[in-house]
Amino acid sequence: MNRILVRTLAAIALLGLGGFFLRGISSSGLNSAPLPDASSGNLSLGKSIYDARCSMCHGTDGKSSGIAASFLNPRPRDLTSGQYKFRSTESGSIPTDEDIERTVREGLHATAMPDWKDFIKGDSLSAVVAYAKSFSPRFQNEQPKPVTIGSMVPATQASIESGKKVFDKLQCYTCHGTDGAGKEAVASDLIDDWGREIAATNLTEPWTFRGGSAPRDIYLRFRTGIDGTPMPSFVGSASDKEMWDLANYVVYIGRKPVWEMTASEVAQHYAGIDAQWKANPVARGKYLVRSLGCGDCHTPYNENGTQMEQFHMAGGLNWTLGPYGKTTSANLTSDKATGLGNYSDDEIKRAMTRGIRRDGTRMIPFPMPWTSYANLSDDDIHAVITYLRTLPPVYNKIPGREPLNFFSYLWGKFKMLILKEDFPGSALPGNAGTTREKSSASLSAGKEAQQ
Amino acid sequence: MKKFLKWAGISLGLLFIVGFFAFLYFIPPFTLAPPEEFINAEKVAAPSTENISDPAKRAIAERGKYLVQTIGCTGCHTPGGDKGPKFDTEFLAGGAKFTDPVYGTSISRNLTPDPTTGLARRSDEQVKRTLRSGVFAENGRVFDPTFMPWADFSNLTEEDRHAIVTYIRTLKPVKHAIPDFKRESEAPYNSFFGADYGIHEGSGK
Repeated sequence: MNRILVRTLAAIALLGLGGFFLRGISSSGLNSAPLPDASSGNLSLGKSIYDARCSMCHGTDGKSSGIAASFLNPRPRDLTSGQYKFRSTESGSIPTDEDIERTVREGLHATAMPDWKDFIKGDSLSAVVAYAKSFSPRFQNEQPKPVTIGSMVPATQASIESGKKVFDKLQCYTCHGTDGAGKEAVASDLIDDWGREIAATNLTEPWTFRGGSAPRDIYLRFRTGIDGTPMPSFVGSASDKEMWDLANYVVYIGRKPVWEMTASEVAQHYAGIDAQWKANPVARGKYLVRSLGCGDCHTPYNENGTQMEQFHMAGGLNWTLGPYGKTTSANLTSDKATGLGNYSDDEIKRAMTRGIRRDGTRMIPFPMPWTSYANLSDDDIHAVITYLRTLPPVYNKIPGREPLNFFSYLWGKFKMLILKEDFPGSALPGNAGTTREKSSASLSAGKEAQQ
Repeated sequence: MKKFLKWAGISLGLLFIVGFFAFLYFIPPFTLAPPEEFINAEKVAAPSTENISDPAKRAIAERGKYLVQTIGCTGCHTPGGDKGPKFDTEFLAGGAKFTDPVYGTSISRNLTPDPTTGLARRSDEQVKRTLRSGVFAENGRVFDPTFMPWADFSNLTEEDRHAIVTYIRTLKPVKHAIPDFKRESEAPYNSFFGADYGIHEGSGK
């Protein structure tokens, strides 16, 4: 017991010393790592902000377990790992407070991590960072190791040209492609440390660089690596100047975003994208399925609101739709017995765009939004179907529709047509809203099945 | 005579009740209308981009129109009337109510560029942030991805989100103030649009 106490005290003293030491460095410019503030008042303020703003994705336990997490690509950070991607510290090191504060303030571009600078400032910012750090014991046991940044190399023609050579020497093309946009990239199925797929950044689109697109931001990615991903630190394999040259080269190959293009550039750009998608319908289909949100209804939920990932796209949500009885979302995986395995392309297309099931019965336009999907182009429908066929088969038998008995049907229609309520879906004639009827029977069925 | 009147009354009453139920029963469920009828209502409702003078902006807005039509914005953001959603007058003007006995009511927002009640109050960046992260511009509140599926839209490319914003900026402004929604419970909404948790068999593999 005493030993633990002594060790704890020693650790605190060390932390204090380390913080003091680092504070000394910070005054010289780059990094500021203020003393870890563990006062409970600060942590409780941090918790209240975290629970309101961050827990939807990162989860109240910090384990990337929020209800939105499974929809997001990339996944929200698992704060318990203490592993952070965007740092100004050595590869494998914990980040400085300023690194985390910067991420909260500026967000991570083109991801669901927003810039919080309008809403979380000053004391609140340091409190929420302190709370986020408290999820991982690493912050108690380790010190951040800030990198030293050599002098910046101006983006001259010579520097850009030598940057191109560094690009080849470090074999950046393996993942990022010879043009930085994935052309002839060899490594395509990249995964991160958590086993999730991760895409190599398109280096020609600087507005999507998570940690910023200034030369210094890009340089830092080479210098520190992106922990938890296949992107290593190049500190052993390239000199400081080479990394600056490479950063200048990456800035140089950046293209204009569509909002800065002229009319002919926009036309050319869209034609290029369309050709690319057409050549790769699986990628296009994945993009559409994710952003159209097929998984919202076709993946069942756990009781705490997260998705059952082992049942990804295997259907099973059920709705009580006024007089139309009960309906259950379909299994979209390629399972032959219970999924789309035996469906023809035309049958899937007919269900998607005209709301006609395989057996010829009709869907109402809610909850399956086939009236919207009817606007999809033929290429896109083909892409979605091609992608759905690549989903691993999951056996999940979906019960047939349950029509209501005669009297419930009449009562449902009475409520819908005369009382003007209880009509499923707002985008339907005669309806002002939806009413959720939670039947205790199916609730308990769901619970049992989970056990 | 009295007896006859009584029986006539009773049978008339019965006939009325039976007739009423028959009326209810035989009002055709609208799934008898061909699917094209529903599809077209939504298709023609989205305003054309022809009037945009800047050709670059027009091309981007056209892209945005395709996304708005396919991604399902209209389903929740166009209020319903007696004869179906008011696509012609209140396209994307918000106001559709979603009521849940546990979690309370939420009401879809006005997406038209109205300066006092619509999205003209918000910058492009704010609208894109909402599409990407579900953050309300006025208070920084994160809303539930199962009411408004921002978590899905976070998977769009930044350029596609920009196209959506460009397009909805060209809609006809509709003055339509939307009351703040009331949440009865702060617990996460563990389902999607009124579905039960979900039923399944087996272990998933």
